Amino acid sequence: MPDNDVIAAAKERLEQSGLPSDWLDIPVHWGVKAKEQATPENGGLRFEYLNVDVYGEVPEYWDNNTEIPRGAVPDTRTEQMGYSIFNKSEVWSDLCAGLYEDAIADRWNSSSDVPWDSLEPIGADLERAVCQIATLMSEYGWTKAQTTGRWLQEISYGYIEVKLFLGTVVFDGARLYEVWRKRALANGGGLGRGGRNWKFLPLTQSYTFSEFVVASIMHDSMLLALLRHGEQLAQTEAERKIYELCQQDIERHLAYFVDHMRYLMLKEPVRREEIHRYMNKAEWYLAKDGDDTLYSALAVIMGDGREGAEEAMADVAELRREQIETYLGYLRQCHLADREDRLNEELRKWAGMVELEEEEKIPV
Amino acid sequence: MVTVDKLDELQIEPEVPELDLSWLNLDTEWGVSAEPGRKGLTLQQINKTLYGDIPATSDDSSARPRGAAAPEGATPRMTPWVLGDATETFSDSAGLLYDEAVSRQWSSATDIPWDTLDELPEDIERAMVQLCTSLTEVEFIAGDVPGKWLPRIAADHYESGLFLMSQVMDEARHTDVFRKRALANGGGLLLQGGGGGLRQILEAEDFTQMSSMLHILGEGFVQSLFRLGELIAHNEAEKRIFRLAAQDESRHVAYGVTHLKYTLEHEPEKAEEVHWTLDMFEDTLVDPDQANPGLAGALVYLLGDGDVDEGWRLFWHVRRKQVLEYLHRLDVAGLGGRLETGRLHPALAGALDEN
Repeated sequence: MPDNDVIAAAKERLEQSGLPSDWLDIPVHWGVKAKEQATPENGGLRFEYLNVDVYGEVPEYWDNNTEIPRGAVPDTRTEQMGYSIFNKSEVWSDLCAGLYEDAIADRWNSSSDVPWDSLEPIGADLERAVCQIATLMSEYGWTKAQTTGRWLQEISYGYIEVKLFLGTVVFDGARLYEVWRKRALANGGGLGRGGRNWKFLPLTQSYTFSEFVVASIMHDSMLLALLRHGEQLAQTEAERKIYELCQQDIERHLAYFVDHMRYLMLKEPVRREEIHRYMNKAEWYLAKDGDDTLYSALAVIMGDGREGAEEAMADVAELRREQIETYLGYLRQCHLADREDRLNEELRKWAGMVELEEEEKIPV
Repeated sequence: MVTVDKLDELQIEPEVPELDLSWLNLDTEWGVSAEPGRKGLTLQQINKTLYGDIPATSDDSSARPRGAAAPEGATPRMTPWVLGDATETFSDSAGLLYDEAVSRQWSSATDIPWDTLDELPEDIERAMVQLCTSLTEVEFIAGDVPGKWLPRIAADHYESGLFLMSQVMDEARHTDVFRKRALANGGGLLLQGGGGGLRQILEAEDFTQMSSMLHILGEGFVQSLFRLGELIAHNEAEKRIFRLAAQDESRHVAYGVTHLKYTLEHEPEKAEEVHWTLDMFEDTLVDPDQANPGLAGALVYLLGDGDVDEGWRLFWHVRRKQVLEYLHRLDVAGLGGRLETGRLHPALAGALDEN
């Protein structure tokens, strides 16, 4: 309980000096001691442990457009800061705080955590193919960081856990960019050809956060399916490590995106058709991007050179099928299993799914 | 409806992508290699040959990495406009500062000795949580701002982009660590800060103006304060928080200073624009109506450990140091003379007469 005598004496001293003392009058929710959970077995003082008392009450609607910390007392003079997201359902996942701390605990350094000295000459075709893949990976890292970063100014402090987590996604995107750039420039190669970028438009153009999330689920799940082949694709220990570390980051991002979308589908099932439209768009751009450079580079690696590339295309097609399956698998987790009926026709071919009979199709 | 089980029945051979090997014969620079050094393989070590050449201008809004070949066929604009002139965002130190940021990441969960937080007298605990309420708020905006600018950074100037991405991460951690301190030791969150110039930083539509406010003046003042964290802290946990946060702030300030230096070296005519921005921002910082009502009182109270007179004396010591370091940073950036020409706000110039 507050010691009124101590506070009264403090107020008096401040006022005698002409300093504001009203902050001492705030009816503080006293006695919150998150430090008590900060044991090594608990992973230190994780953000989840702060969510007690009023500080843990995450409102369905956050009605303050300033930067006020959740649980603090407002100063009504403060200007509005231009946030646009005030609904919990638009951004929330219960996993955010934990994923934020996991991201920090899993942090890695591309300079020193990748065994660069394991790089060795691998032959011109293979080096070209690795560098081509590295170029496209860098592009996605850059796009991920840029497009995630722009949402920060839209989300208010009411959902602080989401913003903290998105901060780690931005940083992971930076690392995804630079670790692959380093790989391209470290082993006697150079950068390859940039992608056409049409497929990224649903990320850059998104008008709602949920639209951004479904486009991210598509791109991240397809990337994850590729990264899972790291053992097969890596030519050296350095690349093996890069695939492993990037996979760990992308899995964390997907954990949030998928859990958020699941939350949205449960809270606002009426938005299902709207979400399908965003998926229509994301899939359409992916299908129409028409850039097979990535898959051709994978074929050169899987075929151990350009001579074996043609034969390796069957394995590449199988990998691409896995990418679509991974995407659909994550959508099933979001309570969007019906996407299988509505998947873009071109992607159905990639996945080796027969065309639906007309009567089985759900109108798009 | 197609069920998961039914999908197996519907499976046929997946379509095979078209094999296109034209990328095997690009005319990008080839034969580049880099050896890891003492700190591993840093950006500095790969920024060689053509890949290290920073274009003075870029109109490429795509994500294409600098030095990569352009794709075949039509490509879309990724963003309505990019800050294509290097003078708008570039800093010679950005790559180095990014590398340093990556190697110096820390965890507020495990790198702060939270078990050293002993019970504090209630007035001191209140002052500390008031300070932390204000700081978590300030750091929150400091993360929004670089996020806003990221889509406008040209991939050709990727070093600045990477640095700003690392800043987003740093500010998330600062927002988090001050909230943690407020809620860790029996206190709570107190009074919101009331703006204090945060809005001006957010609404700036010129990167260099924004950076002058955020990195040089705003974060510069915060860094000077954090470096004197020993005077505010009451235990090892708080000392560590200020020390680690100051280390991060140093990078942000360094970026702002080196960016402004780069800009003024290439566009000296921009100096007056930056002066004007600082005139406005200094005015906001010292305006009593804009001031954070809790911050100054709590800070004075903590500095004096409850002795307000002693707190005031130390407050002016801190303020003097903030102003001196601010002026020094401007000198280094090539924007000296604010004090000598009487342009520095009188309330800040007056701080130099104290003590």
